[in-house]
Amino acid sequence: MNARPESTSATSDISDFGASRRQFLKTSGGLVLGFSLLGPMAALAQQPATRLPASATGGAQTFAGVDPARLDAWLAIHPDNTATLFTGKVEQGNGSPNALAQIAAEELDFPFDKLFVVMGTTTSTVDQGPTYGSMAVRYAGPQIRHAAAAGRQVLLSMASKRLHVPVEQLTVRDGVISVVGVPKRSVTYGELVDGKRLDMTIGATGKTFDMKVAPDAKLKDPSKYTIVGTSVPRKDIPGKVTGEFTYVHDVKVPGMLHGRVVRPYGIESDLLSVDESGLKDIPGFVAVVRRRNFLGVVAKTEWGAIKAAEKLGSKRVRKGPADGQAKWSDWQGLPATADDLWQTLRDASGKVITVAKRGDVDAALGKGVKTLKATYRTPFETHGSIGPELAIADVGKGYAKFWAGTQMPHQARRDMAELLDLPVENVEVNWVEASGQYGRNGLEPVMADAAIMSRAVGRPVRVQWMRWDSHGWDPKEPPIVQDLEGALDAAGNVVAWRHHMWVPTMSNTRLLASELIGKPVGKVNLGDAAIKYEYQFDSADVVAHGESRVGVITAWMRAPGQFETTFAMESFIDELAAAARQDPLAFRLKHLKEPRAIAVLEAAAKQYGWKSRPSFPGKQAGRKTTGRGIAWVNRDGSFVATIADVVVDRDTGGIWVKRVVVAHDCGLVISPDGMRNQIEGNVIQSISRTLHEEITFDRAHVTSRDWASYPILTFNEIPDSIEMVFVNNSAEYPSNGGGEPSTCPTAAVISNAVYDATGVRLRQKPFRKERVKVALARA
Amino acid sequence: MSKTIHLKVNGKPHTLEAEPGTMLLYLLREQLGLHGPKFGCGLSQCGACTIHLDGAAVRSCVLPATAAEGRAITTLEGLGSVDKPNPLQQAFIDEQAVQCGYCINGMIMTAQAFLDTHPNPSRDDIKQALNGNLCRCGTHMRIVRAVERAAKNGRQAS
Repeated sequence: MNARPESTSATSDISDFGASRRQFLKTSGGLVLGFSLLGPMAALAQQPATRLPASATGGAQTFAGVDPARLDAWLAIHPDNTATLFTGKVEQGNGSPNALAQIAAEELDFPFDKLFVVMGTTTSTVDQGPTYGSMAVRYAGPQIRHAAAAGRQVLLSMASKRLHVPVEQLTVRDGVISVVGVPKRSVTYGELVDGKRLDMTIGATGKTFDMKVAPDAKLKDPSKYTIVGTSVPRKDIPGKVTGEFTYVHDVKVPGMLHGRVVRPYGIESDLLSVDESGLKDIPGFVAVVRRRNFLGVVAKTEWGAIKAAEKLGSKRVRKGPADGQAKWSDWQGLPATADDLWQTLRDASGKVITVAKRGDVDAALGKGVKTLKATYRTPFETHGSIGPELAIADVGKGYAKFWAGTQMPHQARRDMAELLDLPVENVEVNWVEASGQYGRNGLEPVMADAAIMSRAVGRPVRVQWMRWDSHGWDPKEPPIVQDLEGALDAAGNVVAWRHHMWVPTMSNTRLLASELIGKPVGKVNLGDAAIKYEYQFDSADVVAHGESRVGVITAWMRAPGQFETTFAMESFIDELAAAARQDPLAFRLKHLKEPRAIAVLEAAAKQYGWKSRPSFPGKQAGRKTTGRGIAWVNRDGSFVATIADVVVDRDTGGIWVKRVVVAHDCGLVISPDGMRNQIEGNVIQSISRTLHEEITFDRAHVTSRDWASYPILTFNEIPDSIEMVFVNNSAEYPSNGGGEPSTCPTAAVISNAVYDATGVRLRQKPFRKERVKVALARA
Repeated sequence: MSKTIHLKVNGKPHTLEAEPGTMLLYLLREQLGLHGPKFGCGLSQCGACTIHLDGAAVRSCVLPATAAEGRAITTLEGLGSVDKPNPLQQAFIDEQAVQCGYCINGMIMTAQAFLDTHPNPSRDDIKQALNGNLCRCGTHMRIVRAVERAAKNGRQAS
């Protein structure tokens, strides 16, 4: 058993800094810290008196940021020769702290296991931009690499003075600097720094993703790497498998109350009345918080808040606008049928984004020996984090503090300031890891819920969404409809290609509660192209219609839009290859020039043991039929080719993805096992999205509000194997993203494999049994 | 009206005050400060809240605390610690079978109860045993390997 105090206070925690790191971690178990990877001295250095709950101090507070041009914004060295890396990036289950720490430890010549990472908290980290788009290692990696290299130079010049020898005669190993040839004459980083802050200037220009840090720092020659490129165990895992790890869901703030939201009946329903009778009988009930269409309850216990919210109408299935003691107007504005949804997408207003325009597609279509046309459809999807969204807010007079798992603590700080009419300086976001995120789920919106409730009751309030709040109201991956047309000449070459896609906004960052109170915070950007077009066809017309909001709030979810556009593009080229009776791999290769695309396709084929033949050689006997599929993607400079075998059950329509091969080129891989973990995750999750996932709705609201109505992949359905090959894994190819790219090809791979097995094309996700069975019966 | 509830958790007795209908999960987390069992759905659909009740894996989000009185409750913390993980927890570490880790409590508690009664499972047996537990990050392959590893280690040890 681990020791964990039953009640805690921030002060008792701070007083414990003299203890060992282990002891520190133990006693902070139930606390407000996000420092599960943090050495004690770092916590002391970085967390001044502002760690006290703001409500306890009773007055306005300001929270200073850090200056990225100074070394101590990035690095602290502690007397026990441990160190702390500070980064504005956050962990969302991807293992990014490992990769970033490996980069820092490498440049510092410091032992990885003694380097801890502090992430996200706005008072102790630099705003390096949100953690999304597979961009943590790609953009924050070089910033950290330069800062660490500058740190090493600073430490060497300190040692030069201490040891009275020129820097050129010094060598560093594992955080110990010694005189070349005289190993006894040495000093540790910890001794040199002696508990002081590293407040020297290293220089920084630009902001967030584009920030350049310590531009003059001398970088290590990658051929000498010993930490980058190795698989080091993740430091968070022992705590996570034993219950000792502190998620944001585990944080307790002194004086904290529990809140629950009660969402409108319809997406745009107005709140007509609230009958509070009986609420006071619920033990611990504190208050109803009502602001225009925002409704929430606050109680002393979580169970009390759940029961109070239930009385007002928070439940999995809501029978109508008056189901519960809160009454709502009967808004019915969502599309009536799925077919209406596709038309709504085409009718939405937006902008036209030309991705490729080459030759005369209409003329070429007229001259083609064979022409094909197809429409691909993909539905709304939910992030479905296993732990529903949660935040704690402590809003008082002239300040606001948050404990949140947001993927963008620095931006969230600005948004909360705007919501609360506070200067940004008076807002602090303490970042603490949440349940996995796969894009913009509700972790920012829930901060607004907590802020409004905390301000209303004058106490810190912890708000956790119920499962139906999360499935029902998190920002959704938008539905997309895509029309494709193509033509082949007599030799089976593509001579015409048209791909038009209708893509609603994938970056509506409106905070739901801000809309409900009538003070919108966040932007509704138009849709995006979300496609990288690489094929060298004689004529091409690729256009995205970047549309505005359609129905519910939609934002980014893992490989936003590109999962869907890759499905359409890579399935349709397969259709053309099949029409030409050519091998689908060779067919792709002959239309490609990009060497990295060709390299991943060939690497995947080699690993798989690909034999050249056209797809669907003929109808197979028996109930179960097998097929293979291939597809690839260029996701923002990372290249992935995937091949899979599927088994289709003709009687049930069930699809099993049996074997998956992924060739992955994201350049230099920092942490190979971490990358494999990410690829496995991408593959499994994208199989789930392909086979099962679809948000359903009636005319008022989302109706798939739990795991029964929104099923995801289960253990019985996982592949037998996922094989991975890294391509261009060397320092000549700078590290690119790996958090998303291997999601992109999956739907096309499965669709193409089902065609190979059955001769039937699946052009609408998800490929649920019932839909597949109907499609097979029609063939 | 609140009620006095007597619980035995990880071998230690506790006397708590709670509203009679309160589900066990909330008392374990809120009053006893345990982090192992987690709120995932409150509907017995995902498994994140799984504990052992007299050795059997049950979902604490739908188990009234009063129904657990007089029975042995074990949480993830009761299996082992960072300093001394139990063999199954160690297997999860060895396989690096975690992404975000939020579901892992349910995976380990379910798998441990399963291994206690099925020391020699096939891969399909393991998948079937875990089929009611949801993981959103897609860590399934590693989770299965971790359980296989623990089973193998258990056989070698016995």
